[in-house]
Amino acid sequence: MPIQSTEQLLRAVAVASAAAALIIILWYLIRRPPLGRLTKALLLMGLGVFPAVVSLTGNIAGFEYTLSRPFCGSCHVMGPYLRDAEDPKSTSLASIHSHNLKFGENSCYNCHADYKMFGAITTKLNGMRHLFMYITEYANTGPDGEGGPLIKLYKRHDLETHKITEAQFNSQMNGMCMQCHSTYAAVWVEKHGDFADDVRGSKQLCIDCHDNIHPLALSRRAGAAAAKEGSR
Amino acid sequence: MKHVQVKKLVLLSSVATVVAIGMMVLAILAPRPLILVLAMSVGQGIAILSLALFLLAIVLDLQAGGAAYEAALEANREAVDDDRP
Repeated sequence: MPIQSTEQLLRAVAVASAAAALIIILWYLIRRPPLGRLTKALLLMGLGVFPAVVSLTGNIAGFEYTLSRPFCGSCHVMGPYLRDAEDPKSTSLASIHSHNLKFGENSCYNCHADYKMFGAITTKLNGMRHLFMYITEYANTGPDGEGGPLIKLYKRHDLETHKITEAQFNSQMNGMCMQCHSTYAAVWVEKHGDFADDVRGSKQLCIDCHDNIHPLALSRRAGAAAAKEGSR
Repeated sequence: MKHVQVKKLVLLSSVATVVAIGMMVLAILAPRPLILVLAMSVGQGIAILSLALFLLAIVLDLQAGGAAYEAALEANREAVDDDRP
């Protein structure tokens, strides 16, 4: 298979380094040679240098993969979100943005990641919370997560639990959209002219009007309201 | 005595590295969330520990003046001598 991206190149380097390390280690374990200079040098490569390369390239490749849509969709709870995002006929915001050539392959991350200076770190820390929630609350739920608790949108959840102020919440929400949509394009100004300043100042949320984001979200499916009442 | 310790440490380090590399390669070939997290934490922890064990073995061996190497060579020589008619 030809290498077409940096991630694939890193993976290939990691696998080749792992193979080299394993060859050296297996040679030592099978032959058990005396610990002379050559053996020590080879073992330093097999136990130190090559595993370090595997670790480094594997980390970068792994991190890159965690940004991708297939990674987010690998938890079954995300099935409906993934199917909608990949549906070419869907008119949801998630789907439209997922077909964007520039960042469509990483559409989940691009819209849900924190965009500030340490955004990548806080996003991945949040991801650990997602994984914990998945293991503890969603692992044995139905094929699309049915039967599990409603998925908490963490920024809104943070707002509801007063961890962030409404101004911070609004700023984060609109900031996400305004990474790409500058709000100064002529077509945009024509359509949003009356309240353009409110959007720019995060007094008006983009998603208040553009609310067809994830039509198959758990919170929008049949029985979700009853489940929400039950969980209170 | 020390050369036995050195050999055991190197053996332990080798086995631990095989386990660590196995976890990291699994995360590269089958990148599922839990596997990735385990490889990036436990896998790399084991790899660092095994390298530390190997370096400790080298330090012990140097302190003993390369005793492990000398002892192994001696044993090798004796085995060759025993085989001679």
